Amino acid sequence: MFEVRSDEPKYAFLWDKETKANNIYGDSIDLASQQSDLYGESLHINGDAALGENPNRYKQHGFYLNADNCIGCHACEAACSEKNDNPAHISFRSVGYVEGGTYPDYQRLNISMACNHCDDPVCLKGCPTRAYTKYAEYGAVLQDPDICFGCGYCTWVCPYNAPQLDPVKGEVSKCNMCVDRLEVGLKPACVSACLGNALDFGVIENVPENRQECKTDIPGFPTADITHPNIRFQQSRQDKREMTRTDSMPLKYHKDDQNGKYQAVVDAKKGSKKHWNWKALLMTHESSHVIFTLATQAIVGAFILLVLGNFMAVPAFVAIKSSLAFVPLLIMMNLVLSYGLFKLNMHLGKPHRFYRGFYNLRHSPVSREIAGVSLFYGALLAYTFFSLLDLTLAATIVAVVGLISGPVGVFYMYKLYRIKARPFWDHWQTGTSFVANSLILGSLILAVAGLMSGVGTATLSVLLVCMLVGLLLEAVGHIGHANDLKSRQGEGAASWYEQTTKFGWPYIISNGLLGSALVLAAGLMLNPSSILGWLLLAVVITAQAAIRRSLFFALVIPTTMPGAFFWKNKGFEEHAKESGLAKMPQVGVEYERHRTFKFDELIATIKATTLKEAFEQTKSIFVWKSLNK
Amino acid sequence: MLFGRDKKNPIKIVDKKAAKWTYATCGYCSVGCSIEVATNIEGKVVGSRGVGGADVNRGKLCVKGIFEHELFDSAGRGDKPLIRAAINEGFRETTWDQAASHMATKINDIQQRYGRDAFAVVSTGQLLTEEFYTLGKLTRGLIGTNNYDGNTTLCMASAVSGYKRSFGSDGPPGCYEDFEHTGCLIAWGSNLPEQHPIIYWRLQEAREKRDFPLIVVDPRVTMLAQKADIHLAITPGTDLVLLNALAHVIINEGLHDKAYIDANTVGIEALTSEVQHYDPTTAAKLCGIDEDTIRNVARIYAKAPTAMSIWTMGINQSTHGSDGVVAINNLNLITANIGKPGGTSLSITGQCNAMGTREWSSCSGLPGYRQLENPEDREEIGHYWKVDPEFFPKKRGLAQTDIFPAIESGEIKGLWLVATNPMTSMPNTERMRKTLAKLDFLVVQDSYADVETNQYAHLYLPAATWAEKEGVFTNTERRVNIVRKVTDAPGESKADFEIFNLLAKQFEGSKAMSFPEQPQAAFEEMKTLSKGRLADISGMSHDLIEKQRGIQWPYTDEQASRGELPPAGGKRLYTTPASFRFADGKAKLIALPFINNNEVPDEQFPFWLNTGRLVEHFHTRTKTGKLGNTNKYSPIPFMEINPDAAQDLGIEQGEYVRCISRRGDAVVMAMLTQRVPRNMVFIPFHYFDCVNRLTLGLLDPHSRQPAYKQAAITIEILEDQQAAAQLSMEMRRF
Repeated sequence: MFEVRSDEPKYAFLWDKETKANNIYGDSIDLASQQSDLYGESLHINGDAALGENPNRYKQHGFYLNADNCIGCHACEAACSEKNDNPAHISFRSVGYVEGGTYPDYQRLNISMACNHCDDPVCLKGCPTRAYTKYAEYGAVLQDPDICFGCGYCTWVCPYNAPQLDPVKGEVSKCNMCVDRLEVGLKPACVSACLGNALDFGVIENVPENRQECKTDIPGFPTADITHPNIRFQQSRQDKREMTRTDSMPLKYHKDDQNGKYQAVVDAKKGSKKHWNWKALLMTHESSHVIFTLATQAIVGAFILLVLGNFMAVPAFVAIKSSLAFVPLLIMMNLVLSYGLFKLNMHLGKPHRFYRGFYNLRHSPVSREIAGVSLFYGALLAYTFFSLLDLTLAATIVAVVGLISGPVGVFYMYKLYRIKARPFWDHWQTGTSFVANSLILGSLILAVAGLMSGVGTATLSVLLVCMLVGLLLEAVGHIGHANDLKSRQGEGAASWYEQTTKFGWPYIISNGLLGSALVLAAGLMLNPSSILGWLLLAVVITAQAAIRRSLFFALVIPTTMPGAFFWKNKGFEEHAKESGLAKMPQVGVEYERHRTFKFDELIATIKATTLKEAFEQTKSIFVWKSLNK
Repeated sequence: MLFGRDKKNPIKIVDKKAAKWTYATCGYCSVGCSIEVATNIEGKVVGSRGVGGADVNRGKLCVKGIFEHELFDSAGRGDKPLIRAAINEGFRETTWDQAASHMATKINDIQQRYGRDAFAVVSTGQLLTEEFYTLGKLTRGLIGTNNYDGNTTLCMASAVSGYKRSFGSDGPPGCYEDFEHTGCLIAWGSNLPEQHPIIYWRLQEAREKRDFPLIVVDPRVTMLAQKADIHLAITPGTDLVLLNALAHVIINEGLHDKAYIDANTVGIEALTSEVQHYDPTTAAKLCGIDEDTIRNVARIYAKAPTAMSIWTMGINQSTHGSDGVVAINNLNLITANIGKPGGTSLSITGQCNAMGTREWSSCSGLPGYRQLENPEDREEIGHYWKVDPEFFPKKRGLAQTDIFPAIESGEIKGLWLVATNPMTSMPNTERMRKTLAKLDFLVVQDSYADVETNQYAHLYLPAATWAEKEGVFTNTERRVNIVRKVTDAPGESKADFEIFNLLAKQFEGSKAMSFPEQPQAAFEEMKTLSKGRLADISGMSHDLIEKQRGIQWPYTDEQASRGELPPAGGKRLYTTPASFRFADGKAKLIALPFINNNEVPDEQFPFWLNTGRLVEHFHTRTKTGKLGNTNKYSPIPFMEINPDAAQDLGIEQGEYVRCISRRGDAVVMAMLTQRVPRNMVFIPFHYFDCVNRLTLGLLDPHSRQPAYKQAAITIEILEDQQAAAQLSMEMRRF
C-alpha cells in the first residue's frame, strides 16, 4: 500500500462525503454493487494483495479543473512524471493554453489535461491487444504496456491525447489515476501538487469546496459526446470572443453568443499559399499504412474480380484464369500482399507481438481488420497452392473463404478509420475510396496479367469498365468529402485548410492525376490493347493512389488539446527533428526508431506458454467479461 | 458499461523503493521550501517530495524542486580540479593540493605586484551560510582584498540598499503569513506564479479564504497580472514616478497615518514637498497609468486596514532600483504598514541563499550585518577571528558590477568566481568576454565544468552542489533552514566549505585563526556573533532547525534557554514603536526625485527589451538545462512579441529573428502573443549568448545593480531560417 505520511497535508486527501447516483451523461456513478463479482477484489498493485479501504472505491472518479486558477506552472506534469518515472518525451499530463484579447486586456487560459477515464473508453474498445481495462475500482481506465504491441491506435481514437506512444520503447503508457494513492484515500499526485488550486479530484459530479461550476466544456476541449469523459471544469472569470492556439495547429476557438460555448474554427496561421512539402507527405511513419492499405485493397479487389468473375462465368475473368499468366498473377498477388502485411507488422512498436492483434475481436475494428486480412491472406496462399496442384474443390472452398474474409477485412479497415476524434477520416468517403481502390488497383493487376498473356480486347475492356467505375467512385467520394470539409468547422475544416495550403500542390496534382486517369481509361476503351496506353494509365493510377493515400494520413487532424509553444507543439517537434535539436534528449522530442522483430522474445513467449494457457488465451478472445450494469 | 478482462496482470505502478528520506531545503530560489530526498537501499537517489509539515511549502514543490534530485547525476558536472597556464590551452587535471597551493601562490604574486585589492573575489547566493561565513573569514581575514562581493548585486542589491536607507539595516520585515492578514496587496514587478510559485500558492490560499484587492504593476500581462483585480501596465523604468504619485495622493488627501509617522519616522516634510512634483496628472504622462487609476489605487492602499507591498526584479533591476525600494518603504511607512500582520514591505528574494550571503558572507561588510565603516564592528570581528582589525579595510570596496570594469581598466588582475556565471548573467556579454580574457588569473569554482565562464578560467575547482553537503540557507522571510547531506559529490568534487578550508591552510595567518572542519562548528561561531543583533540566531541549532522545519530569525539563546520554541511562522521585524535600526529608532522617509536615464526606444531601436524568468529554468540554466523534465518546456530562447508588431515586420510564429541593440545581437525564436505591448519584446534571461548580448545594464547609483529590464532594440527577420536554427543551436551545448 502507498505510504501515507504522518504530516500528509489535508489538501492531499479525498473529500467526497455524499455522491450522486448518475453522472451528467445519465450513466451510473456506482460501478459495482456489493453482489457483483468485481466487488472486494484487490487491485494487486505491484503484486500486493491488500484491499484498499477507500469508501468510494466502486464509484466513478474524475479530475476537476478550475481553468480560471491554472497558472501553467507545470507542477502537475512534473509531479506525475516524477511519480511515474517518465522520461522527458513522455508525459501522462500536459498543460497547454489558448489565449485571447489585446494587450493589456489579455487572457491566457491554461488547460491541464491527462486521461479522463471515460465512461465510454474508445481506447479500450479500439485497442486490438486488449491492453486496456476499465476497472470497477474508481472507474479507472488502465493500460498495460506489457500487453501493448505499440500500434498506437489508442492514440488515434482518444480525443484528448491521453495515451502516450513512446517512440523509444515502442509501447503505449498512460495516466493510471494514481490508483495506488486512491486506495489509501489520497488524491492523485498531480492534484496534490497543484500550485494554482486549479486541479482537483473526486467522485464525478461532486463539486469541490469553493467551486461552483461543473461543466464539460471549455475552449480547446473537444466535445464530450465522443467518450463521455470524466472531467469537469470551472471557467467563468473571463471570456474573450476568440481564443487562439500558440501551437502550429490551424485552429482557434470562437465563442457562440447563443450558448456561450466555444466552437473550433480554422485559423489560417500560414496564410493561403500552396506548398509542396513532399518530404513531410511521403517520408513518414504512416507510409507503412499507405503501403498496407493500398496493397490489401488492390489484392482483395483483384481476388474478388478474378474469383467471383469465374464463379459467375464472366468470360473476361474466365479468360484470365485460363491464361498462362494465371499462376504468375497469383504469385504476384501473394508477394504484394505479403509486402503490405510485412510493412504493417514492422511499423508496430513491438512487431514480435503481432499475434496479439486478434485479442480484441469483440470490440476493436483493428482486431477484426487484422483477422479478416489475415484470413484472406491464408485463403490466398491456399488458393494459390491448390490451384497449382489443380485441386479444384479445395481451391473453391478456400476461394469462398477469401471472398468472405477479404471484404470483411476491408470493411473493418474502413470502420477503423471512422474515428470520431479524427473528422477528416470520419466520412463515408473513406469507404468509397477503399472500395474504389480495390476496383482500380485490382483491375490494374488483372490487366497486367491479361496483357502479359495476350488476352483479348474484350477482357481488357471489361477491366477498363471496372476501373472506370472505381475512378468515378473515387471522384464522387472526393468531391463529396471536399464539399463537406469546406462547410464544416473544427478539425475537419482545418484538414481542408492544410489540404489546400501545406499540401496544396500534391493535392492539386492528385486531382489532376485522377482526372487524367479517367480520361485515359475512357480513351483506352477505343484501343484496349495499347501497351503504351496501359503503361501510362498504370503510372498515373499508382501515383494518384500513393499521393492520395499519403494525403489521407498526412492531413488528418485529431481533436487533441491545445499545446504550448514548445511542449506538445507539433510544429516545434517537427522543427526539432529536422534541425537536429531533438538529438539533445533534454529537449524532450524523440525520433521514431527502427523496429526490430525480436525472435528470441517470441520464442521465449512460445516456450513459456503452456498449451492450456494458449487455449485459455484463445478462448478468452471469444468469451470474456463484459458486464452491463 | 464496464469492461473487464478475466485474467488481468497485476497493475504495475512505478515503485522507486525509497528506503530513506533525507531532509533538505530547496537549493533553487529563496522561497526556501522543505524537501525530502529519497534514496533506495543502495543509497541511490530516486525521488523527492515536499515536506508536509513545513510551514513554508506545506508539502508542495514547484517543477524545479520536484526534479531537483536529478541534479546529482546531471551532465556536465566537474569531478577533478583542472588547470592551465593560458586560456588558449587545454585544461589538464591536477590534485587538490597542487590546485590550492598554485592558487595561493598566484594570489600572493598578484597582490605583491599590484596591491592587495588587485585580486578580487566574486561570490554568489548559492552556497550554504556556513560556507559564506568561511569564505568571508578567508577573504577578509587572510586574502585581505577589499574587492569582494556577491552576484547578489544582480538581484537583491537594490533591496538591501533600500532597506538600509529606510530602516537602517537590511532584513525583510515581513513574512508569508502576511498574505493571510492583509487588506490589500501590491505586487511591484513580481510575477509570483513564474518566479516563486510556492509563494504564489500561499497567496492563492489566502485569497480563497478571504478576498482582498490584488494590484499588479508590470508592463507585461504576466500570469499574476492576469489574476489581479487591477493591473497597472506601467511604462518600463517609471515605477518611482508611480510611487511618488501614490504618496502624493495619500499625503495630499490626508490619508496618511500622522501618529505613526510622528512616532516612527523622520523626513515627512522633505517627502511631502518632493511628491508635490508628482501630481497624478503629471505622473500619468510619465508612467503611462491614467490619473484616475493612480488616485484609485492610492486610496485603496491607504484605506485598507492593512496593506502590503511585495516586489522582485521589476523594481530591483532598474536605474533607480534602490530608490524604488525606498519609495515602497515610504509608501508603507506613511500608511503605517510595517511590522504589522498584513502590513509590510517584503522583498521577494532571488537565490536560495541570497539572504545568507547578505547576513554572513562579509561581502561589502562584516558578518552579522556589520559594517566595515564602523570601528567597533571591525574591532569585534578582528578580536573574534584573531585578525588584526587594522587588516580590515575601513570602507567597503567595489561592488560586483564595478569589479568587472576594474578588470577592464587593469586595476584588478586576478579573480575568483564562486558559483556564479557572469558570461551568461552579466549585461553586455561581449564586453564581459573581453573583460574576462584580460585576467592574469581566473579561478572558477563551480559544480559544473561546462559552466560558460570556465572558457576563461585558468583554474577550475569542482564543487559539490546542494544536498551533497550540509549547512543552512536563509529564505525570504528570514527563515534559517537546513540542508542535510543526501549523497556524495561526483569524483573528487569537494564541498565549497572544504575548498575554503583547504585554501585557508595555504595562508600563514590561518594558524592563529579557527577554520573548523565541520559546518556545525562554523554555525556555532555565527551564533556567537549574532547575539543581541538584528539577525540573532543564537537560539538555533542544526537539529532544532530540522525539527522545526526552519526557524525565522530572530530566535535568541534566551528564548531557547527559557524553553520557548520558535513559532512555525509569522515572525516580523519592527513590530514595536521606533524599533528601526537607526540610532534614534526611527525610519527615514526619503525624498526621491526621478531622473529618467533609461535607454528608451527611438526610431533606430524602436522596441523596449524586457527580460525575466521562466518557471522551469533557474538562472543560467547550468542546472535546469540538463534536466529534460524541466528544460523541455523551453529548450531554446524565444521572444514574446506582439502579433501586430510581428505582422508589421513580417515575422511569423516560430520563426527565428535577430534582435539588435547598441551592444550586440541575439537570435531568438518568435512567440507571437498579446501578453506584451506593440513596442516591447520579452526575452527570458536564462540562455547563454542571448539576451545579455543586448542588455545595457546601467547601474543603480546606490546599489550598483544593473538595469536589465530597460533597453532599446530593433528586430530583423532572417531569410535563412535553417542557418538561424543552426546558429541558435551552436550557441548552447545544453
